[in-house]
Amino acid sequence: MLIPIICAVIGVLVGIFLPFDIPINFVQYTAIAILTALDAIFGGIRAQLERKFNFYRFISSFFTNAALAALLAYLGNLLGVDIYMGAVVAFSIRLFQNLSIIREELFDRFWWSHANGRSKDV
Amino acid sequence: MYKVKSWQTGIGLVAMVLSIIVVLQLRTELKIGATLPTRRVGELSQMFKNQSLQLKKYELEISDLRNQLNNYDRDREITRLKMAAGLVPLAGKGLRITLSDSEKKLKDYEDPTFYIVHYSTLELLVNELWAAGAEAVAVNGYRVGNTSGFSCAGTTILIDTKRLAPPYLIDVIGDPRNLKNALMMRGGFVDTEILAFDLKFEIQEENEETITVPAYKGSISFEYAKPAEEEEAKK
Repeated sequence: MLIPIICAVIGVLVGIFLPFDIPINFVQYTAIAILTALDAIFGGIRAQLERKFNFYRFISSFFTNAALAALLAYLGNLLGVDIYMGAVVAFSIRLFQNLSIIREELFDRFWWSHANGRSKDV
Repeated sequence: MYKVKSWQTGIGLVAMVLSIIVVLQLRTELKIGATLPTRRVGELSQMFKNQSLQLKKYELEISDLRNQLNNYDRDREITRLKMAAGLVPLAGKGLRITLSDSEKKLKDYEDPTFYIVHYSTLELLVNELWAAGAEAVAVNGYRVGNTSGFSCAGTTILIDTKRLAPPYLIDVIGDPRNLKNALMMRGGFVDTEILAFDLKFEIQEENEETITVPAYKGSISFEYAKPAEEEEAKK
């Protein structure tokens, strides 16, 4: 768990000292990028907990997701319709689903004995 | 040595990207300031576009209206000046005055020259009317203009170059009551110069707008006079 945190700190430093700003027109893309990254992180943690993490699948899914979301945002901008909301909603739902699965997994692992059975709240 | 696992690398990379983006966005947001949330920028720019379009439209409308106003003013000014110069026929309420020689049988000792209408009688009567606030005067259908003068040639009275013959019909536009009161003032011109000699004199008040005065038909050429600045004219 140490390396991701170190990477995040490096990212913060890089972000602080990077000499350019995000243009205002790209707010939608920024939102989508943040969501994609969050989704990828949660999905990765979940996959790791389920012991089926694959580096190349992880990275490729991150980039394809980001590309599709960016395409949606671009299309939305072009047409003047907020299509990128679709990507935002999809990512958010998956985010919460992954979070609940991670939570269950952790509960199972550390606190609950098997005698109590699995919780059913999703 | 701590072995780097692949999931840590992957998540670490993505976490780095995430934190970079978050920090950049945060910086942008802070730079723009609390006054303008970036997510409203699209909306605001749309509003701005609309408003500036509208502004352009209104500016066009303003210039259009201003032009119209100028034309309107000019037209009104021209009409007013024409009215003042007597170049347009006018209509309104006022007086219709009939004046002609006395029909009184004269005694031997009475001088007949007192009992006929002279050009000076007409001139003074018209003058009296101007003084009483008449706005337009016509004698026998001839408009009395700014430079009109009465004169006599033998037995006929001329106004400018038009011959007048009795009875003299004087059409006056103005306030009928005021004009009549001014004319009929005791000891005034009409009292002492017209009624005193039994000249035939009738005043008809027209309170409807039935008096019509034709346009001035005399010459309005200026051979010697030139427009001058007001300061120069004072000297």
